[in-house]
Amino acid sequence: MSALGKIRSIRHSGLALVLAGAALLVLALASLAWGDVRLGPGQLAGGLLWRDEFAATILWQIRLPRLLAGMLVGAALSGSGLVMQAYFNNSLASPGLLGVSAGGAAGAVVAIGSGLAAFALLTVPLFAIAGALAATFGVILLARRGASTERLLLAGVAINALLGAVTSYVLSAQTVSYERNAQLVFWLIGGLEDRTWEHIWMAAPIVPAVLLLLPLGRSMDLLSLGAAEAQSLGVDVPRLRRNLLGLSTVLTALATAVAGTVGFVGLVVPHILRLLLGPEHRRLVPHSLVGGAAFVVGCDLLGRCAGGIRLGVVTALVGAPYLLWLLRRAER
Amino acid sequence: MSGAALSLREVAVPGRLQPLSLELPPGLVVGLAGPNGSGKSTLLAVAAGLLPGAGRERNDVRWNGDATAALPALERGRRAAWVPAEARFEFGFTVRSVVAQGRFAHGDDGAGVDEALARLDLAGLAERPVDRLSGGERQRVLLARAVATAAPLQLWDEPLAPLDPRHALEVLALARSLVRAGGTVVFSLHDLRLAQELDFVVLLESGRLRAAGAPAEVLTPERVRTVFGVESRLRSSLCLSLP
Repeated sequence: MSALGKIRSIRHSGLALVLAGAALLVLALASLAWGDVRLGPGQLAGGLLWRDEFAATILWQIRLPRLLAGMLVGAALSGSGLVMQAYFNNSLASPGLLGVSAGGAAGAVVAIGSGLAAFALLTVPLFAIAGALAATFGVILLARRGASTERLLLAGVAINALLGAVTSYVLSAQTVSYERNAQLVFWLIGGLEDRTWEHIWMAAPIVPAVLLLLPLGRSMDLLSLGAAEAQSLGVDVPRLRRNLLGLSTVLTALATAVAGTVGFVGLVVPHILRLLLGPEHRRLVPHSLVGGAAFVVGCDLLGRCAGGIRLGVVTALVGAPYLLWLLRRAER
Repeated sequence: MSGAALSLREVAVPGRLQPLSLELPPGLVVGLAGPNGSGKSTLLAVAAGLLPGAGRERNDVRWNGDATAALPALERGRRAAWVPAEARFEFGFTVRSVVAQGRFAHGDDGAGVDEALARLDLAGLAERPVDRLSGGERQRVLLARAVATAAPLQLWDEPLAPLDPRHALEVLALARSLVRAGGTVVFSLHDLRLAQELDFVVLLESGRLRAAGAPAEVLTPERVRTVFGVESRLRSSLCLSLP
């Protein structure tokens, strides 16, 4: 407890953000250096500056896109989870548990399975956004705002099952080629393998979406303590709600379009940060973005070190026990 | 007309509040009385502009003559403060940061916060997380947040119910001092003896306005009998006051 107190005492300074940024930087460098071919510091610098042809090819073709995809996906999912928690006044809301990730995946799978994905680069993210939006509205219909944890999680179970069925249908009913099948499976078990610059461009709207999130911290504080209260204190609640819902859905959908369903990031990262830094969103928003990026890059690195375990598997292995621990703690 | 701190014209909420009109002059401590389910909370939420209604059922609520529907959200936050009967805090914000939320509409988060904390006897709890407070302490946090808004119209839903005698008297004294400073305080209450002491009383029954005016005119023994089903008479009894 005193350790926690010590960590809390640094929360008023910008130190926590600096630490999170430093952690992200270290993980990013490790992620660039680690792999089948290990690169030393000299090779890293040489490769990044195109002085070392061999290292440059590895870095610019494979590892940098993978790293950037991981950072974007992590920031997006973590930010999205934080927003959902404020929106639903419930610290267990997250894109994975509520089925929004599954919605994005179902959309992406439909786009690929129907062959539409071949036409344009933006088809998959657009379908993912449509699927994620459908899931979000489904959750809102099933569990109104301020819903109890049980209701919210049950709504998530229902949405996850329904969208899982859509995905399974596409997998089983459509005559898909081997290559498409491989792509579909990729979306079901999220991962960062074979991400190219094309995927980074696809995920690029994550950056403006995240920037739009930054100034909303204070109104999110008010909203997370009740919509009517927030309205009476001067927050334009309907507008804030629309913005938050739009942003969190787009963030989850884009992350899913790039890396498939990667669970638990939106739950674990904001939750741990809330324990460390307190519940104020002005601080939580930037920290969640940096923390989420660091978490995903770290999990990806862990999976690669363990001989190629996919990102979605690693985050689930970390996140599911954490969720169980939370639920156990909440019962008491 | 525009002199009324709060004016409601034919406001209604289907199933909860029959169409009613009400004008409250400024500078009064107003008690809102009525049995359970008579529409007190609904009326306060309407007065706070939180139940605007839709279409032709749009509620006409005016503060100082200005229609609330036409005011921007931030302006509304500065003009009227509303305190719900019960607060549910899902997240462990500190008492101070919740009170500072009252400054949202002013764009700062410091002005008057320490004073609001002190006025509700919360200075010692300022750094405590709100999800670890008792019901009465939570109520005082919400009142402090309402005071921090510095809004001239204060609408409080059963502020005294969870409070101990001393804090209840302090809140009453706070209402009086806000009114002296030019504000208007409207709050719902069940204690008819206390209502007798206020400047103005609004009496509701099953979503209808039964009477509004000076306490002695509104809370007549006959009306108290028909509305609340209790007999009332004046006699000397235990009187509590702040030392």
